[in-house]
Amino acid sequence: MKKLERRALMCLLLAGMLAAGLGLYIGKWLVYGSEWVSYPANKHVFTDGKINTGSIYDRNGQLLLENTESGEPEYSDSYSVRTATLHAVGDIDGNILTGANRAFAGKLVGYNPVTGTYSAGGEGRQIYLTIDADACVTANEALGDHKGAVMVYNYKTGDVLCMTSSPNYDPTDPPRIKEDDTSGVYLNRCTTARIVPGSIFKLVTSAAVIEKKKDLESWTYNCTGKEQFESSEVDRITCPYPHGEVDFEEALAVSCNCGFADLTLSLGIDNIKEYTKKTGLMDSYNINGIHTTPGSFDFPSEDVNIAWTGIGQYHDLVNPCSMMIYAGAIAGGGKAAVPNLIDSIETNSGLPAGINWSRKTDTLIESETASVLSDMMRNNVIKTYGEYNFPDLDICAKSGTAEVGGGNAPNAWFTGFLRDEKNPYAFIVLVENGGSGANAAGSVANKVLQELVNE
Amino acid sequence: MELFTSLSEASKPFMEKISDVFQSDPTFAVYFTTAARWIFVILAVFILFKSIRSLLEAKNTPETWAFLALPDESHVPLTHWENVIGRAKSADVVVDILTVSRNHGTLCRDEDGNWRYNDLGSKGGSMINGKHVYRSTPVKAGDTISLAGVNCVLVPASLQEKMEELGRRKKRSRKFPPWTLLLSLTIFQILLCLQLIVAEGGDLPITVPLSFAGLTILMWAFCTFLKVMRSTNFEMEVIAFFLCTLNLAVTATAAPNEVSKQLITIILGVVLFFCLCIYLRDLSRTLLIRRILVAASVLLLLVNLAFGTLTYGATNWVSIGGFSFQPSEFVKIAFIFIGSATLDELYEKKNLGLFMLFSLFCLGCLAVMGDFGTAAIFFVTYLVISFLRSGEFSKLILTAGGAFAAGLMVLRFRPYIAERFATWGHAWQYADAGGFQQTRTMSAGASGGLVGYGAGDGWLHNVFASDTDLVFGILCEEWGLIIAVLAVLAIITLGVFAVRSIMGGRSTFYTIAACGATSLFIFQTMLNVFGAVDIFPLTGVTFPFVSNGGSSMLVSWGLLAFLKAADTRQGASIAVRKIEDEEEIEGGTL
Repeated sequence: MKKLERRALMCLLLAGMLAAGLGLYIGKWLVYGSEWVSYPANKHVFTDGKINTGSIYDRNGQLLLENTESGEPEYSDSYSVRTATLHAVGDIDGNILTGANRAFAGKLVGYNPVTGTYSAGGEGRQIYLTIDADACVTANEALGDHKGAVMVYNYKTGDVLCMTSSPNYDPTDPPRIKEDDTSGVYLNRCTTARIVPGSIFKLVTSAAVIEKKKDLESWTYNCTGKEQFESSEVDRITCPYPHGEVDFEEALAVSCNCGFADLTLSLGIDNIKEYTKKTGLMDSYNINGIHTTPGSFDFPSEDVNIAWTGIGQYHDLVNPCSMMIYAGAIAGGGKAAVPNLIDSIETNSGLPAGINWSRKTDTLIESETASVLSDMMRNNVIKTYGEYNFPDLDICAKSGTAEVGGGNAPNAWFTGFLRDEKNPYAFIVLVENGGSGANAAGSVANKVLQELVNE
Repeated sequence: MELFTSLSEASKPFMEKISDVFQSDPTFAVYFTTAARWIFVILAVFILFKSIRSLLEAKNTPETWAFLALPDESHVPLTHWENVIGRAKSADVVVDILTVSRNHGTLCRDEDGNWRYNDLGSKGGSMINGKHVYRSTPVKAGDTISLAGVNCVLVPASLQEKMEELGRRKKRSRKFPPWTLLLSLTIFQILLCLQLIVAEGGDLPITVPLSFAGLTILMWAFCTFLKVMRSTNFEMEVIAFFLCTLNLAVTATAAPNEVSKQLITIILGVVLFFCLCIYLRDLSRTLLIRRILVAASVLLLLVNLAFGTLTYGATNWVSIGGFSFQPSEFVKIAFIFIGSATLDELYEKKNLGLFMLFSLFCLGCLAVMGDFGTAAIFFVTYLVISFLRSGEFSKLILTAGGAFAAGLMVLRFRPYIAERFATWGHAWQYADAGGFQQTRTMSAGASGGLVGYGAGDGWLHNVFASDTDLVFGILCEEWGLIIAVLAVLAIITLGVFAVRSIMGGRSTFYTIAACGATSLFIFQTMLNVFGAVDIFPLTGVTFPFVSNGGSSMLVSWGLLAFLKAADTRQGASIAVRKIEDEEEIEGGTL
């Protein structure tokens, strides 16, 4: 009989496995419960696959969307608000995966592990986003008919103040979108796209140059408008016109491709790779559960391609949001806040229902380097973009004009930040096929920043 | 049946009145549900916590059946009916003298108090009163058993010793009267009926509240009856009745018209439980029935193979005269009977061989039927029982390895099972295909939070097999995680109790049976719960007691009898004959 006592441990083992599995389930339930209830088949909070409870407001309490029991949401009364905030808020059918109505479904339905999605009155939660709907409208109007993206955030608190992506449409009157659509209308370009950066990438190369280039003070380059590598026609780097003799600061201010090609090659591809990683452009950021698309890069071995990589062409693709965060880190002396889209969540009776923690990024740039680079970016504005184009703004920036080929006008970029304690904003603007970066994208940036600063 | 019809006619107006009260004031209905959900949890925690704690704290105080006087003049108590004597530490009576074999012989007693000694092929041999013995031989009080020259004497316990022990046991065995818990459970059931009326309104068939009333009457009547028969401990019965209440609730949401059928199977299950308990009291007749059960099981499975109907991929249903059942479910009871063995049988190679053959036959039949979930349950139960019997770990690994290989073969030849494995662990990637049921289970289950939406207020019951395979999901959704977890903990507790009962066990037959039966319960619960939430592949087996299904309910009660038979706490169990009843306590004979 005593023998059995030991052998019966087998039964206890089995019972232990059942207990362990149950523990595993409870663990998963704690971690993923919010995602599980947000699945559109969950009839407690979805009607015909559409969420049927909760509402979304902007930071000033302007109604952006209110879900109804029938599953047909009611949007803002204003057409321009509806279109400008489409990607931030989301469409009726949930095609925009990163829209708040879909991405924050678990929070909208008021899910918590204790009562699940049950509430006696059947009501959901009110989510106040950090965005300013009017600034989004300004951004959307400034983009005009161009595709593009505008994103502004407070690099100290993480609050995203403006997030607009184009093309967009009126969600109450959705257009027919073909299955083979290539415009990316359901894509929030700010968080989910990756696009050739062109010269704004020189901010990354510059960080490497400042830290790694020996005798940088004595470095100069005589730009003839082109730098030939191999014999073939395509194997060369070009500038729009000869810049003549430039030093490092000037090379960035006039965005001299040939000069940066020389700097890139003297550093070598390994340094470019190291700094691309460090600046966070290859990371995915978690914005309240929305994961940004990481950038993608090839780090080639041929000289001409290395040179193009260092000036933001070749196979370089960046995500606008992560570039904006890098700009924020330059402004913040090395680190920036991770963007945050949710200002507050309240129950119907106005009680707070959730806490948001502000998080910082890793060190994306050393603080001394950031200080040098930030002065250079201010110099860009003074020397090249013109302070008069940004009245009353202490703005530091870098433009980009990224060639896209196929006979299309280049993509215009403008990224940077305000050196303003009261308005610590970092921004990124992309105007696809907009032409010259400073003109096309810079003016959009100015309009949105003026609106936010003078509010 | 007529009585039932007239009862429903009589109670219909009453239910309509209640339904009207709730419908006339919807806010009242909402408040009722909001509050009732918490009351359900509190009652469930109270009922199950008390029962579980009592089972876990149970001290299975050994009973002393006689003494063995050793040459060093010590008196070793024989605390089981079946004892191994030998040099090994694992022997029940350790005789630490070099000439004695590690497992020298067994000294076993039947329920009438007759002792027999059996030599286990020891090197030094055994003698009784100076005569060599080679096979099982009767031993009387005062006889000398000589183990390789070491003389031991069988000494009966004196009347005084027995009375003292009885007193000790009575003191240590805490009684567990069911009345408070039955009262709590009755309140639970009444609230549950009201909640179902709130949730379903006028659509609720009158049979639902009547069935709940039936269950209430049944549990009170049964426990009173057991009390009259001088049973003192009711933990397992209370747990089973609680799970049965959940069963009726789940059935009422998913298939309201089957509730009365479900009540009937609960009644039949209780009857089966009682009969098995009484039958198991007597070890020798229990051993005798095994042959009949082998024949019956073989017949049942063959009938299934010949006349079974194909239902959702498995031919495991037989329909006779409009009454359909799952033969393989009933074979589970026989399987435990046949797998369990007394101590002497453990040392017979032939005995284990027969069990192996029988297991192979069962597994073969289940494989042909395509019921791989049940096959897995039989297989794991086989592993547990054969390990309990032989203690050979290497054999266990070998068998499990062989089964793994066989499983891979099955995957090759049964593509629809391979498909389940393909979606296993990736339910959300195939949310509208292979992971349909699992994702719905998790989504609805998480919506319930800790206390649930309230019985009848879920949507998972619209999903296929929600009241059987996905019943854990309905528990989570409508009853909340706490009650769902408690239901699983109740099953785990039965397992822990079975293992601990070995300490006070009389015959290995009962302890192996109890461990086998709970292993079956536990593994079946694992397949059911983990299958529903994508931790295991979904195999489509039932949750003991809780899933909607007649055969499953009957057999759950049947298997519970094995646990009851291993409960040797003083006067605790209907399935164990009490010492006071036995003549030796008066006569002082052996």
